[in-house]
Amino acid sequence: MKTAGDESSTGSSIEPPRAGTPLYVHVPFCAAKCHYCDFYSFAAVATDSEGFVPLLMREAERRAPLEPTTVFVGGGTPTWLSIVDLEALFDGLDRITGFRRSAAEVTVECNPESLDVAKAARLLELGATRLSIGVQSLRPEILESFGRVHGPRQAFLAFDAARTAGFDDLNTDLIYAAPGQDIDDWEQDLERVLGWGPTHVSAYHLAFEPGTAFERWRQEGKLARAGEELELAFFERTHARLRSAGFEAYELSNFSLSGRHCLHNVNYWENGPYVGLGPSAVSRVGRDRFGNARSLETWRADVLAQAGPAWSERLSPRASLGETWWLGLRTTRGVSPEEARATAGFADEIDPSLAEARALVEQGLLAERDGRFALTSRGLPLADAVAVRFLETATAPEAVHES
Amino acid sequence: MDTQHIRNFSIVAHIDHGKSTLADRMLELTGAVEQRDMRDQVLDDMELERERGITIKARAVTIWHEYRGERYQLNLIDTPGHVDFHYEVEKSLQACEGALLLVDAAQGVAAQTVANAYLAIEGDLTVLPVLNKIDLVHARPDEVAEEIEHSIGIDATGAMAISAKTGKGVSEVLDAVIREIPPPAGDPDAPLRALIFDAIYDEYRGIIVYLRVVDGRIERGERIRMMGTDKTYDAVEVGCFTPKMKSTGALSAGEVGYFISNIKRLGDVKVGDTMTHFRGPEVEMLPGYREPTHMVFADFYPTAAGDFEGLREALETLSLSDSSFSYEPVTSDALGFGFRCGFLGLLHMEIVQQRLEREHDMDMIQTAPTVTYKIRMEDGTEDEIHSPGQLPSPDKYEGLLEPIARATLLIPAEYVGALMQICADHRGTYVRQEYLSTTRVQLTYDIPLAEIIYDFYDKLKSSTRGYGTLNYEIVDFREDDLVKLVILVNREEVDALSSIAHREQAEQRGRSIIKKLRKEIPRHMFEVSLQAAVGARIIARENIAALRKDVTAKCYGGDITRKRKLLEKQKAGKRRMRQIGNVEIPQKAFLSVLGSAAEGK
Ligand SMILES: Nc1nc2c(ncn2[C@@H]2O[C@H](COP(=O)(O)OP(=O)(O)O)[C@@H](O)[C@H]2O)c(=O)[nH]1
Ligand code: SF4
Repeated sequence: MKTAGDESSTGSSIEPPRAGTPLYVHVPFCAAKCHYCDFYSFAAVATDSEGFVPLLMREAERRAPLEPTTVFVGGGTPTWLSIVDLEALFDGLDRITGFRRSAAEVTVECNPESLDVAKAARLLELGATRLSIGVQSLRPEILESFGRVHGPRQAFLAFDAARTAGFDDLNTDLIYAAPGQDIDDWEQDLERVLGWGPTHVSAYHLAFEPGTAFERWRQEGKLARAGEELELAFFERTHARLRSAGFEAYELSNFSLSGRHCLHNVNYWENGPYVGLGPSAVSRVGRDRFGNARSLETWRADVLAQAGPAWSERLSPRASLGETWWLGLRTTRGVSPEEARATAGFADEIDPSLAEARALVEQGLLAERDGRFALTSRGLPLADAVAVRFLETATAPEAVHES
Repeated sequence: MDTQHIRNFSIVAHIDHGKSTLADRMLELTGAVEQRDMRDQVLDDMELERERGITIKARAVTIWHEYRGERYQLNLIDTPGHVDFHYEVEKSLQACEGALLLVDAAQGVAAQTVANAYLAIEGDLTVLPVLNKIDLVHARPDEVAEEIEHSIGIDATGAMAISAKTGKGVSEVLDAVIREIPPPAGDPDAPLRALIFDAIYDEYRGIIVYLRVVDGRIERGERIRMMGTDKTYDAVEVGCFTPKMKSTGALSAGEVGYFISNIKRLGDVKVGDTMTHFRGPEVEMLPGYREPTHMVFADFYPTAAGDFEGLREALETLSLSDSSFSYEPVTSDALGFGFRCGFLGLLHMEIVQQRLEREHDMDMIQTAPTVTYKIRMEDGTEDEIHSPGQLPSPDKYEGLLEPIARATLLIPAEYVGALMQICADHRGTYVRQEYLSTTRVQLTYDIPLAEIIYDFYDKLKSSTRGYGTLNYEIVDFREDDLVKLVILVNREEVDALSSIAHREQAEQRGRSIIKKLRKEIPRHMFEVSLQAAVGARIIARENIAALRKDVTAKCYGGDITRKRKLLEKQKAGKRRMRQIGNVEIPQKAFLSVLGSAAEGK
């Protein structure tokens, strides 16, 4: 819906990103579609990726930031691409942005079925500094119920291949509180994965996202959520176990050894700017957030036509302030009211978020330390309920349009 | 028009017995409305009326019918069917010389049939019984005619049997109107006296006054005076309804039509008032004028605490088109500033509430309706109480009185036992029982109005599978052992949830309110305690366990917008809640104080 009035937020007038802006690249191909997954990704066949990388480069030429400080190649499954395609992608991106010299962190998402020593070694040479491996579970029956195409052993082999190839920073992605999952089994799985020696663990409680097979089955009564008490137990056990292994829970679902945070993701929670390339990728530049079409075909057509984004929104400073708090409170570091105001461009005398934060401190859900507010251990599992308090609804975001 | 060729009549019927359909057929038959313009039910025109199928405001229409070679002007005056609008029915009937008593030949006589028929008889109208829906296979005209004779006491042997749906018999009904109903008796040469029997607010034309000229003649340009309010106006336009408004320049004795002047507020016109010429000869006022009495009260509070002014404006605008509710500012400890509104009855309350929400886009909290109570002081004086919150502590007054309704119930005979039990459970006092036919019974009970509001009507409907009907009028105020039932949320008294109950019922009601609140109030980040108390005694309690986990697992750059919108939606859901202390209470919870009524919605 485009109207003359919101010209300011349409593609043509979105400002170019500053040099150094973090860069995300979305590769939508996977070996199979997992039953819980709501990313834009699909079970691909060889021909799907024909012309994909060149198109991505065309988009990069137009929109990629120079000298990004971090790069994240995600998906989907980037390692689904052939080595030849990966070479073209990384070389092309470096030619356009110079990331190999500028980026402190370059993460690539991988899945066990498409990562071996040769590919891992090549990724390292191409400029990757960090791999994130989709392990999800070490139980064959759970992996199967997820619709994953690999078993537990393959996950270990992929991890080992990454280590052997010389990667130091390794993340494992894990999911807990799956239907029927035993909490002690989960703790054992976690134990085993920790034994592999990752520097980073992303552990998510299973979410039933709209549009996924899992959500459909849940509605049909074929699957059930673990239930609040059990989910909470999983959540707390996960946090406790990882903490005792020396991992810091620096975000609600992200844990790392000291100094091994994912810088790229930290920027999201700081509500910082970023540029996303590829289908479904989202960017935040200046006050605007905008995204590409969630369809390979539409994205392709849009890139060829040099069209603007498929949707965009420009938040009012007030709304942006609420968003900044919401995102920031996901992290252990928490939120500094002054920084949040600066990020949101909020200039009013009275800071509504601050009042809200103080009330939540009273209720024992937030704690204030050194001028920053963060969730307490009781507040952590209630992060969304807390977030809602900061978000604004009285006025809708200025000029949202979707086309 | 000479009065010999005028007939003024209305149709009285229970809801759904086919009044609107019959009116439509008459309009069609007399050519007032072309078939192709015919919307169903031309006479009901407010959106809400259409939706609910009830007629809220009276309407009038002038049609022409030929009988034995002569043309007659027939004025059909529509009457509301619901008990809440009793006074308006009375005024509409006062404008007529006759009434068609329309009864569904399958369903039989119902409570409002009887109530409205009595009104017509009391008003000295010629009542012509008409049996409708005889096209239905289960129509039982003979039995129903007998029911009419028993319940109303008029001769129904010659009752016309018609089908408003197919049109069968409708022309004969019009003939009968001319033949049986007397022409208006007024004197066209006497000084002007016109009865105001209704008034509506029209966005374009302002206030439109419906009148029946009793004596004399009114012409455009004349200056008139309303005798009851003593206000004077110029007749800017005078005309009749065809059913569209058609300016005729004048109306004379016996005729029915409208009057437009520069009247701004509906409150300036009183239904039942008499209109005469300004500085004309002294005339006697037409009988029966009174202010509407409000039987049911409820408080409206804006959901957003700051929107008090917005609500005031909305109420003001609404009062332009409905002068029969009252409003005055109130404050509640729990809900802040709002308005206490008085209504003719429950239906009227619902209509006002829905119009505020729809036409004025108001987000409101509405408290459960209560009736007017009276407290008797030591010195014998009495004070009215319009909300439980107003009730002083028991040592400050001598006695608490409540309004008693005389309820007429018309039910199929097999339910008599069940109904008597329900009446007893609702503190009803038996008055009498009559068999209208072998299958239908009329029960009369005196029941506290508060009980009728609480859940009596729902119980009646459900225990008679919808066949029982109810009509009531307030006959008395009676003292009883009534107590204030207080609700505490996290140990704080919430005045808006308090109610007045009979001491013996308080415990059970308290438990049921607390149970409902437990369902309505969402979980919070802390435990919420709910208690019901009478005086210092806690009679029921429940806790709402704290919310323990509510967290989005994944949130990265691509998710932010979508996830934020989901959270914002959650927050928007809270807009319809009111915060009391730390607890968010949804609008619906405030109706938990009612019995089954609140659950059905
Ligand atoms: N079968 C049949 N149905 C009728 C007849 N007259 C009215 N109805 C139906 O009865 C219902 C109520 O009629 P309506 O005129 O709205 O009743 P009101 O509430 O008295 O105005 C509608 O569904 C009509 O279609 C009739 O003569 N025969
Ligand atoms: S591999 Fe990852 S991106 Fe692909 S379908 Fe599974 S969860 Fe989704």
